[in-house]
Amino acid sequence: MSKKPTAQPVIHKVIMVGSGGVGKSALTLQFMYDEFVEDYEPTKADSYRKKILLDGEDVQIDILDTAGQEDYAAIRDNYFRSGEGFLCIFSITEDESFQATQEFREQILRVKNDENIPFLLVGNKCDLEDKRKVTFQEASERAKQWGVPYVETSAKTREHVDKVFYDLMREIRARKMDENKTSNGRGKDKSKKKRRLCKIL
Amino acid sequence: MAPPPIVSGLSPNEGPPGTRIKIRGENFGNQPSDIVGLTICGVDCLLTAEWKSPNKIIAISGTGKGKGEVIVSTKYGGTGSCNVTFKGYHLATIGPMKESAVWVEETPLFSWGRHSLSTTSFQQEDPLGLSIEETENKISEDFLINHFAGKCGDITSTNFSPGWFLLENHQNTSFNDLSAGLVHLRRKVQGQKEGQLSFLKANIGSVMDQVDTLVNIWEKYDSDLPKLGNEPTLKLEKAIKESEREARKLFDEVLSRKDRAEKTRNALNVLQRFKFLFCLPCVIERNIKKGEYDIVINDYMRVKNLFLKTDVPVFKDAPSEIDKRIEELQKKLHQDLQTMPITVEQQKRLIRYLTNLDSPFDAAWDAIKSRSDYIIKKFKSIYEYHKSTEKPEMDKKKGSANKFAKFNNSQLIEVNTVPACVNFIDEICATISEIFPDLWKIGQAYFSGELQVKVEAGRQVEYKYMVMNVIESFCKYIKASIIPNTLDKADRNQFGTLTTPERDEIAHYLPELLRSVRSSYSTLIRLDLPNEALDIIGNLLLDLRIHCMSILFQQTTEQIKQLSENWQIQYNGKYMGVTDLPIKFLQLVEDVIQIVKESALSGEQRESPLLDKPTAKKELEKQVDSILSAFHGSLSTLSFSEDLEDGEDSSPVVSQLIGTPVSSQKTSKAKQNIPIWEHRLLITLSNCMFTKSTILDTILAKFKESGFPSVDGCVNNAKTKLENLERTILDRYLEQKSDPLVGTIEPSMYLGRFDWDVTVSPTDIRPYAKECINNLINVHAEVIGVSSALLDNVLTRIVETVAEELYRVMSCVQKFSRQGAQQARADIQALQEFFKDYTSDAAKGHFAEALDVVPKLENSEKALVEDVLRQCKARMKIQLMCLRKT
Ligand SMILES: Nc1nc2c(ncn2[C@@H]2O[C@H](COP(=O)(O)OP(=O)(O)O)[C@@H](O)[C@H]2O)c(=O)[nH]1
Ligand SMILES: [Mg+2]
Repeated sequence: MSKKPTAQPVIHKVIMVGSGGVGKSALTLQFMYDEFVEDYEPTKADSYRKKILLDGEDVQIDILDTAGQEDYAAIRDNYFRSGEGFLCIFSITEDESFQATQEFREQILRVKNDENIPFLLVGNKCDLEDKRKVTFQEASERAKQWGVPYVETSAKTREHVDKVFYDLMREIRARKMDENKTSNGRGKDKSKKKRRLCKIL
Repeated sequence: MAPPPIVSGLSPNEGPPGTRIKIRGENFGNQPSDIVGLTICGVDCLLTAEWKSPNKIIAISGTGKGKGEVIVSTKYGGTGSCNVTFKGYHLATIGPMKESAVWVEETPLFSWGRHSLSTTSFQQEDPLGLSIEETENKISEDFLINHFAGKCGDITSTNFSPGWFLLENHQNTSFNDLSAGLVHLRRKVQGQKEGQLSFLKANIGSVMDQVDTLVNIWEKYDSDLPKLGNEPTLKLEKAIKESEREARKLFDEVLSRKDRAEKTRNALNVLQRFKFLFCLPCVIERNIKKGEYDIVINDYMRVKNLFLKTDVPVFKDAPSEIDKRIEELQKKLHQDLQTMPITVEQQKRLIRYLTNLDSPFDAAWDAIKSRSDYIIKKFKSIYEYHKSTEKPEMDKKKGSANKFAKFNNSQLIEVNTVPACVNFIDEICATISEIFPDLWKIGQAYFSGELQVKVEAGRQVEYKYMVMNVIESFCKYIKASIIPNTLDKADRNQFGTLTTPERDEIAHYLPELLRSVRSSYSTLIRLDLPNEALDIIGNLLLDLRIHCMSILFQQTTEQIKQLSENWQIQYNGKYMGVTDLPIKFLQLVEDVIQIVKESALSGEQRESPLLDKPTAKKELEKQVDSILSAFHGSLSTLSFSEDLEDGEDSSPVVSQLIGTPVSSQKTSKAKQNIPIWEHRLLITLSNCMFTKSTILDTILAKFKESGFPSVDGCVNNAKTKLENLERTILDRYLEQKSDPLVGTIEPSMYLGRFDWDVTVSPTDIRPYAKECINNLINVHAEVIGVSSALLDNVLTRIVETVAEELYRVMSCVQKFSRQGAQQARADIQALQEFFKDYTSDAAKGHFAEALDVVPKLENSEKALVEDVLRQCKARMKIQLMCLRKT
């Protein structure tokens, strides 16, 4: 029965970025459905949404799992625009994917035009310690340089999977509260003006 | 009720029609069939849905346009909800130049291509200056095409139709907004018309600058002309052309490579997307091998639904390949269906498979037919088998055809060889009980619609014929082997020539066979067969019961004929004065009554009491008659075979000397244990009387108590016959006894030249009278030695003849002296006195006549005679006691 709740919980929009094959989809599915997918199937663009309890508050998390492949670089801009927080994933077993995070970071900053956008650097596949190519040191230094947290996860063992999503959502929530405070009047004005403009044009 | 399904994940979340989407979420049911609905952007895509797990379904998107929900419905959870959205593209919105997150089919694979490549103004700014409604376009394109023939809603087209445009884009816009839009449009048009002049006016400065610049360029060009020649752009043009060619060379290669890549990618994509279809022939074959027919059928249905009407050649190959396999499978299943033995459940399953596979076979009917054929064949093979076991048996039987041998070996035969026909009937009964119910069940399923196949006209009649045929064959086989006489000749030829065993042999088995047939009968009754069919067996049973009864009685008759007399009289116990012959007879008859009662008489399920039938009753009477007359026959044989084995012993029994019978009895006892002829007569007589008075009534009572109808008629007949026999026997005996006894009277009387004209007064009765008394006492002893019940009959008759003889002899006397008369009277009166207890009226008369012949006596003489009599009685006290009844 489709009774629409009057007050829908707040939605936090999270975007998964990173090179192909680092485990974005794996992390997402592990978080959403507690399952680990062994085989690799390139993602195009997947949407997930579910209700969760964040520090006692009902919220919805909306996850956009994106393609890591270069072919799609051009359309990423579109996606990034809608994101409120980003999990930037690389695989600790693949240096190339770590290098690629730099590019993703830059693209996000360019599109969002915001240095403080909620953002976590995530080193995935930490269960494959023996195949590690990127040291913890290295990665945390980069994170520090960007001013973001660094967390290592495993989609296979579920280590820190919940943590990265919850941490990111807390940051998003904090950001939204800040924004409401600082731009209480102005923000509204702005949007009104914009809409009017639209009509006239 | 399960919780409603929730869709919480889509991979991918956008794409053109035909996109394969992994749908994730919760409560998608526990098996594929739980999914009862799936819409993607409002379009039903259930057919493409592939259930993977309670959390995952894979489906292919349909023609839904724009953002929309993916709604799953399950059998138990109802219609679900959706947290995420899927964005369906209009095919035309993605051109070769548009970037997209997914690969787009550039050749439409499905007939969805009716959204032709019209370039809609999807991205164009609205000419009314209004924001375009989020497409909740309720007006279908079909509708618009129908109503605006040849027109379109594209504002740049020459066929532009404002009505179409408004309906398509502003169906929900309010009138006020539309008016404002009109004003906006007018302003824009106005602006374009009068704009040129005012534009110039407003920008006079920069226009002048432009004119100046143009003049400067002209001057520069003029001065360059001598330096560079008349056509300064020629070189430039050449260079441009050159670079264009170069560029094209580079670009062409890249483009063609891109095209190739695109093609490969498309091909791969198609393969991937329709992997299911292309792999299906193999999958089907594998599943057929594994016997997973349900999966095969499921796959086959899907293919049929998805690709049956396809025009794409690639998709035609696989289905035809699949069809070939399916056809083979159908043949195999059809074969299996008809291969016996098979359970009804298995058959039902196979029929369902075949129906689901759209087989051309009339599977259900074939299943029924094959079952019926199977039963008939089975009957035949059972028959043939038993026929083959019979051969050696027949030889044996020939060997033992001789009655003696058979009698001695009867035990052996019983143990070693059950007759083939008995085995045959046992087995055929077991067989029909075992396999007929299945024929009935599958038939019921067929006609009740449970098999979900169409019942052709006329099948009902044909089926009935089948059932009747099976049952009739069953009955005829049985009849042919036990009661062939109830079949007509044609049937007898058709249903076999198993030898019916001889009566004594089959009699043992009949009750058991009856039981076998009944057990089959009750199995069939439980199936609720129509009466018409059941009655066939009912009639068989009736015939069998009559036959059984008749055979049992016949056997008993035979046994009665075989009964032998041992001549041992029983002196104590319940049956005194008879041998055990009548008791054995009674025993046999009681036994057979019991057996017949248990086996044939009482009706079980759907059977009426046997003897309600007049034919049965008549048969019963006939058999009882023959039993009784058999015994009568034995008795009469025993009484008339004078010279059994001791012809030399039939010598005088009564002599003038006392006690001869004893000695003669002794010798015969020592020899053969067979008493002398007179004794045998007496014994038989006693048995006769006993049978008549006791045994027959006991038998009558037994019949009654066992529920037989009255056989009084037969028994009375038998009684009459026995009475006659008794009389004859008695006559015989008397012939043997009284003739010699009476014959001695006259010679004895005149022994020693005696004359009734004597002068001596009597002092005692004369010796001939004493002898007569002693002889009678001998007979008395002989008779009582057998049975006291005979005494009256026998002695009375003898006394009668004695009295008659006495009268005859007396009347022949020429002259009595006084003393002679006294003597004669004393003698006659003594005999009268001694024989008093056995004197009939006739005898009395003869005695009186005898006395009349003798001259009357004076009173003094009478006293003397009395005196003599008194003395005689005193002397012969013992003899007197012998002849007194106490
Ligand atoms: N051992 C291990 N394998 C992982 C992990 N995460 C992802 N994978 C594997 O890496 C491959 C690519 O993962 P996927 O999530 O599809 O990568 P994506 O392209 O970033 O979405 C898959 O075969 C996964 O099974 C992890 O934490 N540990
Ligand atoms: Mg992925």
